[in-house]
Amino acid sequence: MPDATTLYLILPEITLAVFGMVILAVDLIWRERSRAALAWLTVLGFVIALATALLGWGWNMALFAQMYVVDTFAIFFKLLAAIAGILVTLVSLDYLRDRTPYRGEFLALFTFAVLAMMMMASSASLLMIYLSIEFLSYMSYLLTGFLREDKKSNEAAIKYFLYGAITSALMLYGLSLLYGISGSLNFADITATFAARNDVPTRIVALVSTALVIAGLGFKISLVPFHQWAPDTYEGAPTPVTAFLSVGPKAVGFAVLLRVLLTALPAFKNEWIALLTVISVLTMTLGNLVALRQKNVKRLLAYSSIAQAGYILIGLVSVNLNGASPFSGLNGVLIYLFAYLFTNLGAFTCVIAIENATGAVEIDDYKGLVKRAPFIAALFVIFFLSLAGIPPTAGFIGKFFVFGAALREGFLVLAAIGVINSVISVFYYFSVVRAAFFEAGKDTAPIRLAPPITFSLVVSAALVLVMAVYPEPFFNLAAWSMGMFGVAK
Amino acid sequence: MEIIVFYLFAAIAVIAALGVVGLRNPVYAALCLAVVFVSFAGLYVLLSAPFIAVAQVMIYAGAILILFVFVIMLLSPPVDQGEGALKWQKPLALGFVGALAVQLVLVLALAVLPSARGSLTPEVIAQRGDVQVVGAALFSDYLLPFEMTSLLLLVAIVGVIVLAKKR
Amino acid sequence: MLDRYGVVALFAFMAVLFPAIPLVFSWIIRPKKPNKSKTTTYECGLEFEDFPEEAQQVWVQFRVQYFLYAIIFVVFDIEAVFLYPWAVAYNALGLYALVEMVLFLGILILALAYAWRKGLLEWA
Repeated sequence: MPDATTLYLILPEITLAVFGMVILAVDLIWRERSRAALAWLTVLGFVIALATALLGWGWNMALFAQMYVVDTFAIFFKLLAAIAGILVTLVSLDYLRDRTPYRGEFLALFTFAVLAMMMMASSASLLMIYLSIEFLSYMSYLLTGFLREDKKSNEAAIKYFLYGAITSALMLYGLSLLYGISGSLNFADITATFAARNDVPTRIVALVSTALVIAGLGFKISLVPFHQWAPDTYEGAPTPVTAFLSVGPKAVGFAVLLRVLLTALPAFKNEWIALLTVISVLTMTLGNLVALRQKNVKRLLAYSSIAQAGYILIGLVSVNLNGASPFSGLNGVLIYLFAYLFTNLGAFTCVIAIENATGAVEIDDYKGLVKRAPFIAALFVIFFLSLAGIPPTAGFIGKFFVFGAALREGFLVLAAIGVINSVISVFYYFSVVRAAFFEAGKDTAPIRLAPPITFSLVVSAALVLVMAVYPEPFFNLAAWSMGMFGVAK
Repeated sequence: MEIIVFYLFAAIAVIAALGVVGLRNPVYAALCLAVVFVSFAGLYVLLSAPFIAVAQVMIYAGAILILFVFVIMLLSPPVDQGEGALKWQKPLALGFVGALAVQLVLVLALAVLPSARGSLTPEVIAQRGDVQVVGAALFSDYLLPFEMTSLLLLVAIVGVIVLAKKR
Repeated sequence: MLDRYGVVALFAFMAVLFPAIPLVFSWIIRPKKPNKSKTTTYECGLEFEDFPEEAQQVWVQFRVQYFLYAIIFVVFDIEAVFLYPWAVAYNALGLYALVEMVLFLGILILALAYAWRKGLLEWA
């Protein structure tokens, strides 16, 4: 029976579940009259979830028969989830107004999506991992196909769903092997099993299941070769959903990957490092090379976000939790994800702002943008600098710690490939900037910004810059978040 | 005796599964799937999990299959005439099936798959009663996944109405 | 352990036998004089071949409503399955189990209310 402490620690989850249902109910009862209020109710829910997530800071408890862990690592990702929820809700207001009558449902489903993200971050059992990943996946499919009159949105959802169903079956097979071999769903027992038994059949089964789990999570994170859905889904989905998909599931996908690999499968570290190194190189290189040829900004950002996952993976490959070095790899992953969240959401918010005003998402349509919307054009430069990893931006700090960890662990070639890829990425990021600044466009009507979008743009841009200029609080946050990691047993 | 019943259910399941893949008419394939589900239920009984067996018949053979049939009727697909869109996929699929078959044979030949038993052994279940064991676990340790299931069902209904209902 | 299920097997056997016997029996004793009209799917006294092309098509497309009903049926079927272990374990768990099930049902009632309010339960 859950006691008061348990309920206290899962307050953010309870908050979001209640808010999701209340939004649904309010929309049912008052229909049209409540539309504007619902968005603010959603934001309020995320703010309360953010605050209640902070209440659990410093705790390290395994709840519900060890299935659900509330530690600082989980809370770090819950904060990310709530922040992403707030920003995406704000930017989705204008976008949805003309496109779907089901705005109340959108907000409710989106709240549940963020809830699923939080549950993924805390899951410490094979059952919870599978359930929460499926929960988030269903929400993602629904939100992707939300514009049902739009053929591209339908296509995007179907592709996403089919790909997701197959990879989740693969992952489920891997999880069932892990269960069969250890007789338990909990990570602690699985680790104990592998510590006690190290014969060849055990190792073979464990390696097969590790590969299968990486396949399932690789789909969420869009790692090569599980990335094919990403460009079409990102292009077809409603753009606020694309923004969410490019940061939310990716971040918690990394959270689950880290937790599974580091707390359930540490016995096979050498093997998964080898596998992930190859995947990282493929992901970075393929993402960047294909991005060079893109004409549609949403597709360009899709390939860019595939490449970004490759960089983040470098931090996971070079993870080393022994010693007090500032380059533990793990903190690189956390800092990078934090920087990437604001950067990518910011970049997509710019795209949404332009799409709201003109309906255009091709690079050619961005010609002469600096005359029409100097503010957006300037912010595009900041976000693209950050995505490319050029100082003084947050993206640089992220890359610094990730590549630094790789150098510390002696992965010189991997770090070099990462740097070369970053250089390649500059070309396509700046093809957009060049169109915006140095080419004349046909249309010259100024683009107006809605206040919520301006707000989230300013917040994102400010954090991207602040993180670069004054990074200590963010280092500390990352250090605290990993400080408790793996202690929960 | 048990081993005979096992082989009986297993044989029915395999033959029906071949029917699911092989039959050209999608409705026949769906009915074969029902047979697969029911024979799986028999296997679950042999594994001392009668509750799962009942759930299998009620949910899969009862509800999910009806869903499948409705989807087939909704789409009203032409009966598959064989040669057509899936030309180059066939050798690929055969390759995968071959690889899986080799894997299966290897596993059975080596018979070394390590495994561990959980705490709920057949003896415990026989002593306490199967449904009792499921209920006690579901409503104490597995409370969180249980309540999460209801949220999943809620969003399933909301989602299907948003995506599929006529305006 | 199988002996406990012997009676289930017997029931299943009888259930198959019961419709099979009259079918086989009538097949044996019936007169066999088929003609084209009799072998059509629906024999109603009219010549099937005289119908227009689209009326001869027996594969009709279902309305999407059936699918929505099927989904709702699945959801509440799953709920019903969860009620069995709850009822059995209720004595051991007491009030606490009641709270859990009320929460579970409450969420599903919201789902039902949603479907109702959206007009899913009306046919037209």
